[in-house]
Amino acid sequence: MSVQTATSPTTRRFDPLACKDDLDAFRAEVRAWLEAVVPADWHARMTGASEADYVAFQRWWFAEMGKVGLATPHWPRDWGGADIGIRHQVIIFEEIARAQAPNPDMFVISLYHLPATLFGNGSKAQRDRYLTGVKERGEVWCQGFSEPGSGSDLASLRTRAERKGDVYVINGQKVWSSYGAFADYCLLLARTDPTAPKKQAGISYFILNMKAPGVTVRPIRQATGQAEFCEIFLDNVEIPVADLIGEENAGWAIAQSTLSAERGLIIFELSERMARTLDADLAEAKRTDAAWLKDDEARRAFTRAYNDMVALRLMIRALMQEIETDPHMGSTTMPTYIKVHFSELLRRYTEFRLKLGGLAGQLRQPIVLGGGHQTGNVMHDFLLSYAWTISGGANEILKTMIAERALGLPR
Amino acid sequence: MSDGHSDGMDLEALRDGVRAVLTEQASHEKVAAFTNAEGVRDEPLWSQAAELGWLALSADEAHGGLGLGSSELAIVYEELGRALAPLPVLGTMLVVEALARGGDAAQQAAWTPRLAAGELAGAVSMLTPGDRTTRLTLSAGADGGVTLDGVAADLLDGAAADILLLLAREGEGLSWVLVEPALDGVVVEKVATVDRTRRLGEVRFDRLALPAGRVLMGDAGQIADALLAHAALALASDARGGANAVFEITLDYLKTREQFGKPIGSFQALKHRCADHKIALVASGALVAEAVARMASGDPAAGRYALAAKALATEVYARVAQDAVQLHGGIGYTWEHPCHLYLKRAKLNEQLFGGPAAYLDRVTDLLLAAA
Repeated sequence: MSVQTATSPTTRRFDPLACKDDLDAFRAEVRAWLEAVVPADWHARMTGASEADYVAFQRWWFAEMGKVGLATPHWPRDWGGADIGIRHQVIIFEEIARAQAPNPDMFVISLYHLPATLFGNGSKAQRDRYLTGVKERGEVWCQGFSEPGSGSDLASLRTRAERKGDVYVINGQKVWSSYGAFADYCLLLARTDPTAPKKQAGISYFILNMKAPGVTVRPIRQATGQAEFCEIFLDNVEIPVADLIGEENAGWAIAQSTLSAERGLIIFELSERMARTLDADLAEAKRTDAAWLKDDEARRAFTRAYNDMVALRLMIRALMQEIETDPHMGSTTMPTYIKVHFSELLRRYTEFRLKLGGLAGQLRQPIVLGGGHQTGNVMHDFLLSYAWTISGGANEILKTMIAERALGLPR
Repeated sequence: MSDGHSDGMDLEALRDGVRAVLTEQASHEKVAAFTNAEGVRDEPLWSQAAELGWLALSADEAHGGLGLGSSELAIVYEELGRALAPLPVLGTMLVVEALARGGDAAQQAAWTPRLAAGELAGAVSMLTPGDRTTRLTLSAGADGGVTLDGVAADLLDGAAADILLLLAREGEGLSWVLVEPALDGVVVEKVATVDRTRRLGEVRFDRLALPAGRVLMGDAGQIADALLAHAALALASDARGGANAVFEITLDYLKTREQFGKPIGSFQALKHRCADHKIALVASGALVAEAVARMASGDPAAGRYALAAKALATEVYARVAQDAVQLHGGIGYTWEHPCHLYLKRAKLNEQLFGGPAAYLDRVTDLLLAAA
């Protein structure tokens, strides 16, 4: 696929942030920009695209968003963002979902987890260097948390980091790193004190240059046939001491802020897309007088899912209000409720579509990369729903957390 | 529920006040005593509710009410549900709303102040989504009056009511007609439900003559839609309150009850069920609150939200209450323990004014119409 925009040479310049003081004008500008920039046929062009085309498309889309200040608008101004409020964020997500624009999922760690991690813990030098790298050079980040054998018991990780002079020497293995094959940097957790009485206490948080000698990346083919995840092998990799985030052995608490970023804002965009999907499915069924509209069981399953989707969006709005009051923390429990609710709804709804798809839904078809859960390929979307019930803390782990932390049940 | 036309009141203060009274006056012991005595309404509590103005919340200020709306009513319904209070508030408030929407000045003046003051309790025909059938017929009577024939069954709070508002067929159309059970020849049969905090009523009419001024003039279908939305939000709120209450009782039990040498709440299988319930309570609670807010602001889609909230919240309540009995083990299955009261109320809520399937079907139709 050749990467080119749908814009004509005479297209005017767009500047949504210039009208951020007027929410309606801001929305109109975002919408106009999306109409001009998102190629109408991108779904078709990305269907069955190669990995290289996918990466090129992601980079193009990220650059386009950056040109109008919408790649990192949620970052503080000092960090190269626009410091916009949550209301603007809501509008951007709503309009992106409405336009069915591409999902810049290759940049999720760069856009959310990295700033959440550096906020309050990173040094100024780290923020200047790495946030600028994302904003101006489109640097891709991945996350090196999980390990073979550690799974949801993240604190049991065994990758070692030993300080030798001005560097830490890393040995070990990471797994399930999304987009690790394309990443420039990695948010890495490693054990600096194997003798710590509590296993959480001996972990440190590093910035790993994926190009450093001793780093080997191997893609893992997943159930969908894609290879979004990677294994990362670390063999005497040297990380400069300057790339330690926060204090040595204090990585566990910092990792919690990284993870909470994952459970909040990102799902907001997905929920907006989900809302569009359900509305579009219903409109399509109405337009084609689909058979399932005459099937009570299917109709009720749809409406149950629809009600759950509405509830999801309301929960996210409640979270947004909390974040508006306390921008970098938000509720301690709501993001977890949202993640579990969203992922289970996604599983149920993708399975609903799969059932409606009948035998045709079982046929192998090329998929739309970067389409989120609206690829239109029902079996692929169903399989992909596991990425949400398992990753970011398996739902079972989160339910134990809810029971103990929110409900106060004994350990 | 109608949209209020004041700026509302401090909702949390209202909630605290209602809860404080109900904690005292509708304790589990008192509710259990009431249900064992087979009463139709808790008279001392009813008087207190009237004195405190709970029944006057939504009535117009011109008729002795406070002129408030759905937000305030929903809090009262939620707290009544939390306490399992045996009060015919819903039936009464439905008659107030119907009068506000379809009553003429004389009808409102005659009935609304007495309903708002708690002198009269009301009950209305059992409506369901998508079904407007009635077994009552209305025909012209003497002196400008009307004659009523047939049966009105399944009247929620009917046995406790002093005024009934019934949907009757009149020729090709439908009408709402006000009937006092105290009239000669009218007997409301008490129909016992398994949920002893509430009763249904059934009444039969054999050429009952009613004086003029007993038929509401407003559009009967629109009144029915409004009453159904009101009932849906009331039951959704009752479900929200009851579900949270029985869940809290269950959590307390899981934290203290020991088996195999440790609190049973430490077992993962039980924890995960509680987490599932918590998430469902947060999700359904958000939908109920949104429906209430939309109703209060007069949003055109409020009716759809109310029906969706009823379907979701009553199903969640039933699920939580069912599991509460199970999680309490043998004690939860006893008559002495309040679990079964919540379970029975939850299961009745699911069916009152139509079951979950009817609500889902109606919501689907409304979504399709808007698609």
